[in-house]
Amino acid sequence: MDTQFSKAELERYSRHLIIPEFNIEGQRKLKESKVLVVGSGGLGSPLLLYLTAAGVGTIGIVDFDTVDESNLQRQVLFTVDDIGKSKSKTAAQKLKRLNPHVEFHVYDTQLTSENALEIIRDYDVIADGTDNFPTRYLVNDACVILGKPNVYASIFRFEGQVSVFNHLLPDGSRGPNYRDLFPEPPPPGLVPSCAEGGVLGVLPGIIGSLQANEVIKIVTCIGEPLTGRLFLFDAFSFETRTVNITKDPDTKEITKLIDYAEFCGLNNLSQKTEENMVKEITVQELASLKENGSDYQLIDVREPYERQIASIEGELVPLAQIMSFVDNIARDKKVIIYCRSGSRSAQAVLQLEKQNGFDNLYNLKGGILAWANEIDPTVAKY
Amino acid sequence: MPILKFTRNLERFYPGLSPVESSKTSLQEIINEANDIYPGIKDYILDEQSRLRKHIHIFIGNQMIHDRNHLPDNLNPDDEVYIMQALSGG
Repeated sequence: MDTQFSKAELERYSRHLIIPEFNIEGQRKLKESKVLVVGSGGLGSPLLLYLTAAGVGTIGIVDFDTVDESNLQRQVLFTVDDIGKSKSKTAAQKLKRLNPHVEFHVYDTQLTSENALEIIRDYDVIADGTDNFPTRYLVNDACVILGKPNVYASIFRFEGQVSVFNHLLPDGSRGPNYRDLFPEPPPPGLVPSCAEGGVLGVLPGIIGSLQANEVIKIVTCIGEPLTGRLFLFDAFSFETRTVNITKDPDTKEITKLIDYAEFCGLNNLSQKTEENMVKEITVQELASLKENGSDYQLIDVREPYERQIASIEGELVPLAQIMSFVDNIARDKKVIIYCRSGSRSAQAVLQLEKQNGFDNLYNLKGGILAWANEIDPTVAKY
Repeated sequence: MPILKFTRNLERFYPGLSPVESSKTSLQEIINEANDIYPGIKDYILDEQSRLRKHIHIFIGNQMIHDRNHLPDNLNPDDEVYIMQALSGG
């Protein structure tokens, strides 16, 4: 039996219904569709708002995170009252008020290799709005295994990427997937997340809306989906480019899900890397050194703009310039190197030890965030 | 002359990173030239065996290069080469 629309629905969707290419058939396909949105943060917020408003019949929301104050600069689904609450549950509650004709399924859990196939199996289209590489590869691989289109987007600072992966082509084959573009993730820490590197608040609004556009096109079978193409946007220069992507014959066939934390070098065991073996000093120990007036050198390897947000003093030498600062680094006293969270400063210690033979360098464990949490709450966390 | 452009987020490692206009006629040569201007950028793009790192891709015009291992591509004078990398943010 054909899906029917109530009078209220017909009135709500009237601006769709009068588009000749869309009309009631497009709206019917939307209502009959099931879309899974993985991540309800920066990208997920506009994506969910537009999919809900457009009238997708069933929307699944996967997110195990809670709303943080620093999310509100871009995650427009949430307000001050939501801080500390479950993102997926809060999102569903709000979206239900936007469109009561939509059915929501909430997965207040982390998508893992154990549950991904079971969750994704029930949906027609998957939209990847996650914020980390392990989940991106997991979503991709699960979509390939189950034969689902993966509407992909990612962002960083001023830049965004959008594509449609693993889409069913007219000849019955599937279009390229994420691994055809990037066979493996970068080493841990090399490509920072938005939490580490920042993101322009409006950017996920732009990119997430494009992602919603692709979902709607796929579901309704209108237009030309962004399959075999990658859209790149630079908000800083307002440059856009659409490049063609093809299947990589060297990509291994995806037949099962793997341990994606290990694949991305993030497992506890594999984290016992050199970076974790550098000598560390705690924020409490640094506080004691300061209080006692001890002789030590403090180096901040963050960027100048980060220094303006929060500072515990010391010489500012961004990580990219640390090797040209070698002659100014003391060898006869304790040298403490810090950054935001302790990752970049660990890299600095490693580089200096390996290439210049220092043995008096200490990484400030947890960085300025730990200082703000445990020593001085007036220091801004960012 | 071919021009080599980079994704903006590489400026994080190479402050002041700008497009490189070159008289070179191959992809490998233009990457080497960029490395003369921005020391270390070749190692960021290519691994120890001079293969394209797997979280990076290169496009000549709108077309993805097809041989990540050998980068045999020749360049025409009006080619624009674009180097980008995976982003994780959402």
